[in-house]
Amino acid sequence: MSSVTLSKVRRIYDGKPVVNEVSLTAPEAQVLALLGASGSGKSTLLRLIAGLENVDGGEIRLGDEIVSTPRRTLPAEARRVGMVFQDYSLFPHLSAAANVAFGLERLPRAEREAQALSWLDRIGLQARAHAFPHELSGGEQQRVALARALAPTPRAVLLDEPFSGLDPVLREELRQVTMDALAETRTTALFVTHDAEEALLVADRLAILKNGRLLQEAAPRDAYDKPASIDVAAALGPINTAEGRVENGVVATPFGAVSARHLIEGAQVRVAVRAEAVRLAPGRQARVIDVRPHGAHDLVRIEADGVVWRALAPARTVLGERVDVGLQPAGAFAFSAAG
Amino acid sequence: MRGRAGSRLNVDAVALFAAAATLICAAPALAVIGFALAPGEGARFGGPLLTNGALGTLGLTLAGGTGAIVLGAASAWLVSLCRFPGRGAFEWLLVIPLAAPSYVLAYAYSGLTWAGGPIAFPVRGFWGAAFIYAIGLYPYVYLAARAAFASQSACALEAARTLGAKPGALFFRVGLPLARPGLVAGGALALMEIAADYGAAQHFGLTTLSTAIFRAWYAHQSAHGALQIAAVLLIAALLFLVIERRARGRAGFADGGARWRTLPRYSLSPLAAAGAFVFCAGLIVLGAALPLGWLAYIAVEHTYAADITKAFFNSISLAGAGACATLVLAALIAVSARRGGAMGRLSLFAAGMGYAAPGAVLALGAFSMFGLMREFGWIGGVGVSLALVTLIWAYAARFTAAGAQPIDAGLARLSKGLDASARTLGAGPARRLWQVDLPIAAPSLAAALLILFVDILKELPATLIIRPFNFDTLAVIAYQYASDEQLELAAAPSLLIFAAGLAPILLLTRSIARGRAGSR
Repeated sequence: MSSVTLSKVRRIYDGKPVVNEVSLTAPEAQVLALLGASGSGKSTLLRLIAGLENVDGGEIRLGDEIVSTPRRTLPAEARRVGMVFQDYSLFPHLSAAANVAFGLERLPRAEREAQALSWLDRIGLQARAHAFPHELSGGEQQRVALARALAPTPRAVLLDEPFSGLDPVLREELRQVTMDALAETRTTALFVTHDAEEALLVADRLAILKNGRLLQEAAPRDAYDKPASIDVAAALGPINTAEGRVENGVVATPFGAVSARHLIEGAQVRVAVRAEAVRLAPGRQARVIDVRPHGAHDLVRIEADGVVWRALAPARTVLGERVDVGLQPAGAFAFSAAG
Repeated sequence: MRGRAGSRLNVDAVALFAAAATLICAAPALAVIGFALAPGEGARFGGPLLTNGALGTLGLTLAGGTGAIVLGAASAWLVSLCRFPGRGAFEWLLVIPLAAPSYVLAYAYSGLTWAGGPIAFPVRGFWGAAFIYAIGLYPYVYLAARAAFASQSACALEAARTLGAKPGALFFRVGLPLARPGLVAGGALALMEIAADYGAAQHFGLTTLSTAIFRAWYAHQSAHGALQIAAVLLIAALLFLVIERRARGRAGFADGGARWRTLPRYSLSPLAAAGAFVFCAGLIVLGAALPLGWLAYIAVEHTYAADITKAFFNSISLAGAGACATLVLAALIAVSARRGGAMGRLSLFAAGMGYAAPGAVLALGAFSMFGLMREFGWIGGVGVSLALVTLIWAYAARFTAAGAQPIDAGLARLSKGLDASARTLGAGPARRLWQVDLPIAAPSLAAALLILFVDILKELPATLIIRPFNFDTLAVIAYQYASDEQLELAAAPSLLIFAAGLAPILLLTRSIARGRAGSR
């Protein structure tokens, strides 16, 4: 296993940077989740790390070895970096076992087959060893793709939205299988997703990308509790926003004050308040205009003076009711408007 | 997006081979132009043969082409949008007349309708040839029009129906305009075939550019005159090619692999349904069943008459060798085209030029080219082996595009993801080629080989011009017997050619049947 380190990596398509000065580290034997919307450059980042594309600036290191610079790219086939593709990209002409064995070419035949079978056993697919990809379900294909990537004991494994085509129940199950396999083999993993909940669940470290730039890299809890910008806060869950001026260390919003002691008095600032940090109690301040079930909670829309915010409230709020609003400091953030 | 990450050396080797393949395909056609423009025997360009041939070809392309377009468009419309008994079967049966080359149809119809034949209405002369072309080549238009009717533009047909358009109005106001690029593309292919045909026109005693080439070559002993006529024919063929490519681009063509949508179809009145049935059945009877049946009947009657074993084995070995050589070129050109860029476009154009060019034209080009090389002393030897190499070169120039198309479809199955997968698993270029690319593309390569084998087996004019003395193939003996008015002896080789032609057609129909809506 190796750590994966990116320093000021750039990738340019048609004159436009799709990955722009990204520096981050996936520590050895940990899972780094790359979170971003489509077009944020996260998949390109994986292809750069795999050696499928060349960097236009900066460098990529696997452990101590420099594998990508603008002048030299160690080819993908020489990197020992595994990849699980979004469409799985299983070889259609090879059985499940042969797919897994593909990366074990250097081993003698008998051992290669034994290892492939033991990998299939590990992911619960030994009975399907001789099935071809088109005979496997989506979930089974995903598992074979995972086993195929991990079998050659890669220095790191890259997962490109590996669960995106699956239904929620299966997704949950496969996420567990995948995380167990990664932990068991102590594999360094980079995991691309656009699902915030998934990113928070699987990651040891979390990197949030937007328009090719890295917004923040942190432990998931830190990113959630101390977002570096409104964009990071928005990427990890539903938020409400407002703008205002710092007066006496706080910013006033239509639903209450948010602490801004770290910002300059009188400065123009933007505020983000997580939906679950908006607490409702019977009162007069705002009116409930919409109630939708959202898991154990309700997603509630409240209105005051023509401004509408969202709140995640316990499921007992009544439509049309008037409420008082309290903002929990842990989920309310003020950012300098200039930044 | 492999980028520069792949091995530089490897990339260049492929590009180099592709360039060589492109040159091999283009050389005979370029040679024709070059030799035609070179100063020659002083006669005025092409002479009266050229004028008469051009008029003949023009007339036949107009008459035969119009017939093919009308029959193809009407049949495609019927099976795509109307409901009548047998429609599902007709959908693929209508392609079968493509199996027979025009000269085989001409021989069959001569036997059927000339003196002593069972049908008193003689198929002969200009209109006879036009009939043969229309009935034998309409499937080109049918396939293109059907693709247009069944593709996404079909939504417009549905919209028109919800707006209350009656079948007739729908055909003229929506269907035809939508299918026009397809009709033009399919029609251009039919015109290319008509312009290239030698056997049928010769059999009916017509002067066309193709037959004029032969007359200048053999009767007038004027190589230069023949080359000049060939150059004019080549330019006409290129014109059709350009028309076809442009129309095809506009039609957003979906070929074999596309899925077809089932349209809600019009129910026809009993009388109209009967008419539709008779029309489609008539096309198949006239284009395939009747001539095939007649050839089979005559061939069985005259088994004792002629020994075709030698010609049979000549055909098999020549077509086999030609198909293998051409397959290599086709694969290189398909790979080059997939890579895109100027080289890719050039490769495709060179192959397309060969495909559009009539066999007689390329044969003259290859023949003159080799003649010149021998004059310079670059190549030695005479006789059989040199002639066979020249012939295979002409075949390769002619048919590379036909082989490149299915290979391209096969390459499309190789997703970039598979290549990337193999690379992240440590497979270098050679291993990716042998263990990923080739196994996956194998079925397409096999299909391409079959198509090439049959196309070469059916080829007549180039074979006639270049073949070594006394080296007869099935096509050649069919032609010779038919020229000697011994149609009953031409039946057996014609039948074999027809039967061989059915193989790739069945492959095509299978993909049509499999491609029906809902399946896979």
